[in-house]
Amino acid sequence: MRSVIFSAMARAFFWIMLAVSVLILLRGHDQPGGGFVGGLVAAMAIGVVALADGVAAARRRLVAQPVVLLGLGGLLTIVSGIPGFVAGGGFLAHQWLIFDNGFKLGTTMVFDLGVYLVVLGGMLSLVFRLYEDAP
Amino acid sequence: MSLISILLLSALGSVAAWRVGRHVSSGLKHVAALLPIALFACFIFHIEPVASGGVVTDTAAWVPSLGIDLAFRLDGFSLLFALLITGIGSLVTIYATSYFSEADARERARFVFLIHLFMTAMLGTVLSDNLIVMFVFWEATSLTSFMLIGFETAKTEARRAALQSLLITCGGGLALLGAILLIGMELGSFSLAAITARAPELVASPLLPAVIVLLLIGTFTKSAQFPFHFWLPKAMAAPTPASAYLHSATMVKLGVYLLARFDGIFAGVPAYGVILVTFGLLTMSIAAFNAIRATGYKAILAQSTVASLGILVMLIGLDGPVSSVAVIGFILSHALYKAALFFCAGTAIHATHITELRKLGGLAKHLPFTAAAAVLASLSMAGLPPFVGFIAKEYLFEAQLQSSWSAIAVIVAVLVNGVMVAVAGAVSLRPFFRGRGKIEHVHHGETPGLLIGPMLLAILGVVFGIAPHLIVDNLIAPAAGALRGSPVQVSFSLWHGLTPMLGLSAAVVILGIALMWKWNEFHRAIGQMRLVQKIDADRAYYRVVDRVLGTARATTRWLQNGDQRRYTLTVASSLLIVAGYALVTGGPLNLTWSGGEILPFPAIILILAIVGCVVAIRSTSLVTGLVGIGIVGYGSALLFLANGAPDLALTQFAVETLVLVVLMAVLVRLPTDAPKTRSPRESRIDAGIATIFGFLVFGGLATMTAQPFDTRLSDFYGATSYLEARGHNVVNVIIVDYRAFDTVGEVAVVAFATLAVWALLKRRRAGKGS
Repeated sequence: MRSVIFSAMARAFFWIMLAVSVLILLRGHDQPGGGFVGGLVAAMAIGVVALADGVAAARRRLVAQPVVLLGLGGLLTIVSGIPGFVAGGGFLAHQWLIFDNGFKLGTTMVFDLGVYLVVLGGMLSLVFRLYEDAP
Repeated sequence: MSLISILLLSALGSVAAWRVGRHVSSGLKHVAALLPIALFACFIFHIEPVASGGVVTDTAAWVPSLGIDLAFRLDGFSLLFALLITGIGSLVTIYATSYFSEADARERARFVFLIHLFMTAMLGTVLSDNLIVMFVFWEATSLTSFMLIGFETAKTEARRAALQSLLITCGGGLALLGAILLIGMELGSFSLAAITARAPELVASPLLPAVIVLLLIGTFTKSAQFPFHFWLPKAMAAPTPASAYLHSATMVKLGVYLLARFDGIFAGVPAYGVILVTFGLLTMSIAAFNAIRATGYKAILAQSTVASLGILVMLIGLDGPVSSVAVIGFILSHALYKAALFFCAGTAIHATHITELRKLGGLAKHLPFTAAAAVLASLSMAGLPPFVGFIAKEYLFEAQLQSSWSAIAVIVAVLVNGVMVAVAGAVSLRPFFRGRGKIEHVHHGETPGLLIGPMLLAILGVVFGIAPHLIVDNLIAPAAGALRGSPVQVSFSLWHGLTPMLGLSAAVVILGIALMWKWNEFHRAIGQMRLVQKIDADRAYYRVVDRVLGTARATTRWLQNGDQRRYTLTVASSLLIVAGYALVTGGPLNLTWSGGEILPFPAIILILAIVGCVVAIRSTSLVTGLVGIGIVGYGSALLFLANGAPDLALTQFAVETLVLVVLMAVLVRLPTDAPKTRSPRESRIDAGIATIFGFLVFGGLATMTAQPFDTRLSDFYGATSYLEARGHNVVNVIIVDYRAFDTVGEVAVVAFATLAVWALLKRRRAGKGS
């Protein structure tokens, strides 16, 4: 059951939702959002493609295996704690770079990216399996 | 090199050797042995400072808030173990590389990798000063030995033995952790050195009996003492190089190591020594008995190892100044000859593919050097002069005669050592010299890699026997001194004059030769004894395991019967009971009607949610029901949004949508109409429980919101969120910063749960596809 309209819409929605998910992830520290919601939205973005064009097309979009993303995410949450450990503040004591113009960059971003990837990879690994199995 | 860098080198080096070993050509296959040799050299350089009374320490912070530091400490006793671990580790690596010379290079590299990991864990255990750190390494040895015993994964027997050893040693490990935590609670420190210094406080503590019992369970399981003596012979299912390493020098001696460490601490507790001597004597008697009964080549060696461990435990329990020297001497001599004998057994089994000792014979023709090494090692095991085993045995008897123990201990020791002499004869003479022509053809001959280990160890057994001054001041005295806590004068030599010990040694040898003479008769007679066949610790173990699994199966069948409605019913009614109890005991319900006006927006959402509920209940179509539930979910998200929780609302929206997407994938495969599986009576019960549950939640929520809201925590987060964590979104800051460690745990839970579901889905698919 392929629908041209759904397929075309899905392609547009894919990019929009992916962009939104990244936006949610990035702004999470100061405004509503964060890695968890961002990961869910990104999973939806790919999930829509899987619904419209099939799992194979969605897998091509994702490039990496969802389970790999899951593991990578878990690893990132742990890695993000190491700078704090090295700096002497203790594991997961987040470190920040503050620029003069107010822009700030912290290891929280790495941590949140890890959460994002775990949610994304975890949801998609199930969605793909279930959809591939569908008659 | 500092101790931490040695351990790091060991850990990283094992990984490096593994990756390299997978690809090297056969000419360079021994390159992996460089790692343990280098480590051995490191410890050789530590002999000098340690022998002159120094103690090497090294500390790095780990969890300072809990008093757990990566604290390492090298004194004479740990140095002896470190040298044995790395020295025999080098020989095992070389031997294993030759042993698996015909196997796939990746398989060989994997085996050597496990051996090296195991070595690292062992080193960490004996070098740790902090008991928690030691425990971590201790458990690592259990895990790696599990993998080594079960290395040949295709063999059922190997898998069973591996699991058995894991269950027993890790179960004991839990008890040990209990002992460590109790000590930490009592003294506020996990440092072994500090605990030794403050021993009187620990001895006076009311927790002392619990500490001792838990410690003994932990060490007895590891060192295969009665009643846990049965796992070690089963562990012979491991490839022989692993057996040589696990069961001679090292892992099983860890329990002995820890017992000896605590002997000084519990010096003021007479019961400690009494228990050790009793269990040591029991273990050595049972093991000696089983050694005569055993049929496999490695099995006999394993039983004699258990007997040796019993001897060591007994020696630790003895009082008197000589016992610490006897312990050290016995550890050293046993490591030398037992590893050599395991190597020889491995070569013989490898060459003939026969494991039964009875079927082997006349191998000296095919394996002359192995035979020579076996003879030398077994002479040391038999405790004949001029071997180091003789000196160790003299000390054993001296320690016994000096102690306050009665003659029973001496008699048992003479009998058991007599059996050891007979075993030594059986494992060297029978396979190699008697029964000429039994074996016509061998599959593999001796190669240098197979010989270097047994030859070197067997020769060292003679060298240290003839020239004990090589090791007395460097190794034995510092090690014994570290055990006793004060310098020890050691006169470690072959000839002590005409002493009672010499008489006992002579008695042992005569007894052993007589036993050897009539070995077959004894073997058969014991094998036919009804009582022996009845008492079988291994069978008892499996009975316990089967009971546990049976109980688990029964409860699973009862709780997890596959009916989702029943699960929900169980959860809901348990919650009802708990919450209902809390409501009843918590005093009268405090429901207040604020009397304010009804807000239109929430009211509309709530009405919509009720409509969703009714749809979900009344609809027979699963899809319609799902939509009904979805309305409730989106409705609550809107309520969150209206009440100033945009993060919660956002997440709720996303989750609801994704749940729909995932569930739709499942639902397309189900019939559109839900089949009626509930009888009217069951439906009535369901409805009743659901209604009461709804009222309970309502009552609970109303009571909770009627209480004045304590804003201290949210005020704290609001005030510090930007200053300390540089974020304005408090919810996110709590997740990624304040409670980041919790989040890591949650991420792990999500990841593992997903992986499990993912794997289950895969299996179903494979079944369908075929």
